[in-house]
Amino acid sequence: MTDLSQIRRPSLRVALSALALATLSAFAAPQPAPAAEQPETVCIQCHGSLPDRLGAPVKLWRTSIHAENGISCNACHGGDPKDASDAMNRSRGFLGAPKEADIPAFCGRCHPGVLKDYLASAHGKRLGQGGPTCFTCHSNHAIMKASLTLINEKSCTRCHSFERARAIRDAMQQTEGYIVDIDARIKGFQTQGVDTDRLGKGLFAIRNRFHTLFHDVNVTRVKAESTQINVELAKLDKDLKVIEEERARRKTVGAFVIAGALLLAGLFHLMKKTFD
Amino acid sequence: MGLFKRLYDWIDLRIGAREIVKKELTGYLLPRNINEWYSLGSVLLVIFALQVLTGMLLMVYYVPDAEKAFKSVTFIMNDLPYGWLIRLCHAVGSNMMVAVLLLHMLSTLTMGSFKKPRELNWVTGFILFTLVQGISLTGYLLPWSQLSFWATTVATNSAAAIPVVGPYLVEFLRGGKLVGPPTLGRFFAMHVAVIPVIIAATIGAHLFLLKRTGISTPPFGPQEASPPASAPAASYHYESHPGGIPFFPNYALQDLTSICVYFAVFLAVVFYAPNLLFTPDAFVPANPFQTPAHIKPEWYFLANYQTLKIFPSELLGLSVQAAAMTFLALLPFVDRSAQRNPLKRPLFLACTIGGILLWIGLTIWGHFS
Repeated sequence: MTDLSQIRRPSLRVALSALALATLSAFAAPQPAPAAEQPETVCIQCHGSLPDRLGAPVKLWRTSIHAENGISCNACHGGDPKDASDAMNRSRGFLGAPKEADIPAFCGRCHPGVLKDYLASAHGKRLGQGGPTCFTCHSNHAIMKASLTLINEKSCTRCHSFERARAIRDAMQQTEGYIVDIDARIKGFQTQGVDTDRLGKGLFAIRNRFHTLFHDVNVTRVKAESTQINVELAKLDKDLKVIEEERARRKTVGAFVIAGALLLAGLFHLMKKTFD
Repeated sequence: MGLFKRLYDWIDLRIGAREIVKKELTGYLLPRNINEWYSLGSVLLVIFALQVLTGMLLMVYYVPDAEKAFKSVTFIMNDLPYGWLIRLCHAVGSNMMVAVLLLHMLSTLTMGSFKKPRELNWVTGFILFTLVQGISLTGYLLPWSQLSFWATTVATNSAAAIPVVGPYLVEFLRGGKLVGPPTLGRFFAMHVAVIPVIIAATIGAHLFLLKRTGISTPPFGPQEASPPASAPAASYHYESHPGGIPFFPNYALQDLTSICVYFAVFLAVVFYAPNLLFTPDAFVPANPFQTPAHIKPEWYFLANYQTLKIFPSELLGLSVQAAAMTFLALLPFVDRSAQRNPLKRPLFLACTIGGILLWIGLTIWGHFS
């Protein structure tokens, strides 16, 4: 009876291991910061339940970068988003849909820098003469984030050949990849409590500078500017590597400390056995 | 060595150190079948000491002001030499303290060590459990992050369900209608001054009771020849263990073994998985005007959180929790049978396993809900 009891005696080490496993499995891996919650305005409540042409914008908007960032209908179209009866009242700032020639100015209220770049570009100079507007490439309602994927053969060949656009995209490809990589690393560190304020602001400025190239159609200028931007990105990359090396060093030290604790545990256990 | 002996003799001459060592360490005998679970109390003492130490160090740079709290924590984590280590030890340590405390309570429960004459040991232990939860809750707000701000808003809001006094209680806890700078001041004072002192005093009472009643004999393994436990005690009785093993060096080495194993697990989390206990919202400064999408309490409050959600009214949810906690606190006065071996108490064993599974189930449900 006694032997059996001793065999069944619970082991603290087993329990602590189980505790560690249970704790590890109880929590998911670090998640990315949640996107801003999509606001529910009266526009969405009403149009969301309407069929066809009247309801389609809501479905498209839900997939947009605007929805992802909590920018709702009223931010562009005006009106009162809290009062259904005044939602489309012009005295409450309702603008409705812009005419084609007014589209850049419509979007440019929030994106003035982009408007300036666009108007200075070959695209902008053809505004009102069959040239593309913001919606042509970024779509309306299902507005797509500015990225190089917007420069593609299918889209560009609607108006002209893809040759020059391809040269520009290829020149910017490496820089965009660099920006995406650094952005992911900064966000990763941000969710670990690293003070990424300076790095985040630095990348924000660089990305804005990079985005000004999106409406430039001068291949030489785009190439030269991309090279300059890569130099700036390399500085951020270096700073991030310092943090990564520091983190790796902590883990190495941690491994030694943990091994030391386990070694001591084994030693004390053996000493106890000698007294038993 | 000669110097040490001379110093020891000098102290012995003045306070009778040898007598104390003999009585409290080498001559303090424990049951021969004592197991590793009994060392969890010592592990908890070490954790509490480490929390006090790291808390004091954090206080040097932490600023309990709503405008500066988040920045001061960011400074500690990023700019202060080894600040990250001190802060992570404190944050991870608070979670480990709850986990080890739960294990300690579970072992006491399973081995029937809460039974007569140790009812007061159990009650003081239970008070410590609630105090540790309280100190964790108050500490959670201090970084003044989105997570801490909104988790505290949800937690304090639960008190509003109490009839009549609920709304006043919420206002009292928060120092206003909403969580704000006065809440931070209150929680800081509770976290660093009031609750630690009460915890220290309760630990003192717990240890005093432990010394007065003596260590309980585990219901497993070879049993000592002792009077039947069911015999009614007419007067105070200290449970001694003649022929047992000395606390020092035998069981002190077991304590040290368990403490080292604990440190290995604890440091593994600190160095390799510090984010286990943080969500991204923990690194965003508090914004009273922006409610994050999914705010969850700490893992040890998830079962309570889910219980509140599954009942149709918060009052009902709170009442059920209060009833369960009261039952657990008063268990020694309810479960009065002399038998302590859980394997010979099928109803008790079934209830214990059922209760643990229910708690784990609610915790997982709360995490994913």
